[in-house]
Amino acid sequence: MIVQGDFPTPLIEKLNQTLGVYYEDEFKSHEIFDEAKSRGQADWQIRTGEAQVRLWNLIFSGVFSKTLTLSERPSSEKPADGVDVIIIPHVEELQYAIPSHTQVKVYEIWMRYRFELINAAGEPLGDWKMTAYGKTPQNLVMGIEGGQSKEEAINLAAIMALRDAGAHFVTSFRRAEPIALWLDGLSAREDDPNERKFSQPESIELNQ
Amino acid sequence: MNIKTLLPLILSINVLSGCVTSRVDEMVFNEPEIGIGEATAVILGRRHGSDYATEPDFVQCVGAHIMKKDPTITIIPETYFLDQLYPWFEPRTAPLEPRNLQRFTEERALLQTLESLDLAYMIWIDGSTKNTGSDGSLSCSLHGCFGFATWSNEANYEAIIWDFTARAEVGKVNTESSGQTYMPSIFVPLPIHAPVKGVACDGIGDQLLEFLSGKF
Repeated sequence: MIVQGDFPTPLIEKLNQTLGVYYEDEFKSHEIFDEAKSRGQADWQIRTGEAQVRLWNLIFSGVFSKTLTLSERPSSEKPADGVDVIIIPHVEELQYAIPSHTQVKVYEIWMRYRFELINAAGEPLGDWKMTAYGKTPQNLVMGIEGGQSKEEAINLAAIMALRDAGAHFVTSFRRAEPIALWLDGLSAREDDPNERKFSQPESIELNQ
Repeated sequence: MNIKTLLPLILSINVLSGCVTSRVDEMVFNEPEIGIGEATAVILGRRHGSDYATEPDFVQCVGAHIMKKDPTITIIPETYFLDQLYPWFEPRTAPLEPRNLQRFTEERALLQTLESLDLAYMIWIDGSTKNTGSDGSLSCSLHGCFGFATWSNEANYEAIIWDFTARAEVGKVNTESSGQTYMPSIFVPLPIHAPVKGVACDGIGDQLLEFLSGKF
């Protein structure tokens, strides 16, 4: 099944910085395949890649004043133009649970992300991990399961997990060590009188 | 006996309802005397419990029940509210106590959106409907289904009312209902459904209506 659904734009004051985002192919086509372990069970293939890209495009553009999606990973030979910093998201792990596995009447999805923070020249600034969780109750019709298929329930749990990922990121990213250090560096540069005094004339000279 | 002769019988039995026992408790601290007037209210489901989540259709049912009985009341749909204020009312981020609303004043964009909604009350519903047991057996083949099955359901919900302006809890409504659904089957299953969830929805909706409406 392909995870389908829409996501809202986060309601937050934007950071006045330009973010570059690079989605690796593995992220864009992320999926898990779980083979049935017994005759009574079914195979599960959950494709989250497209939904991941849709979600993170909205989250990043809601958090930063400008975002640019990069087609390749920047390096010292090919640095990214016009971006202040670059985030590369990875889905490190995805687990799911359905009522027939757990005897609990909810469908659940759990994910672990890793975010890489690099500069425009591709040099690593650090990385951090973040988890996300979503669940949806088993739908009872006249007291027995019905009204939605197992696929619909898993899809809804995945959407809830993705929303949770966005919520977790928006409310915690400033405290993630690499981001906090980068933001500290930005404010130190703004506060430095020498930086202010000389940076502008230098750039004017360069432009001339 | 063919299906045409059975159909009226099936339909007549389908509209029969099983018996539901229900109890509603109310505790109100500061009821508005003339209702909420032009202001709005939102009903939200709690979904941070580990083994259940308040069903969105139950939250929707309670809102619809209130607006049907008093069309002057505006209940903001849950999904609209959650999307407009994303990510501040997700299970991870939603305030658990009214005083936690205070931290929202630090987020200017969030505060502006909340003000534009003209919200008077925020109602949190926590609970679920569970299947608490089943008995009997039904077996189906090409010739039809035969047997008898029964199962019991229990709905347990609590609604907590927050005065959004005062950032204070002003009321609490509890509802518990239970009932037994029966499914005898001779060729085709003939369910006699106990609408446990519907009764809980009406019960909690009526109590909230007394709080929110000046007419009740």
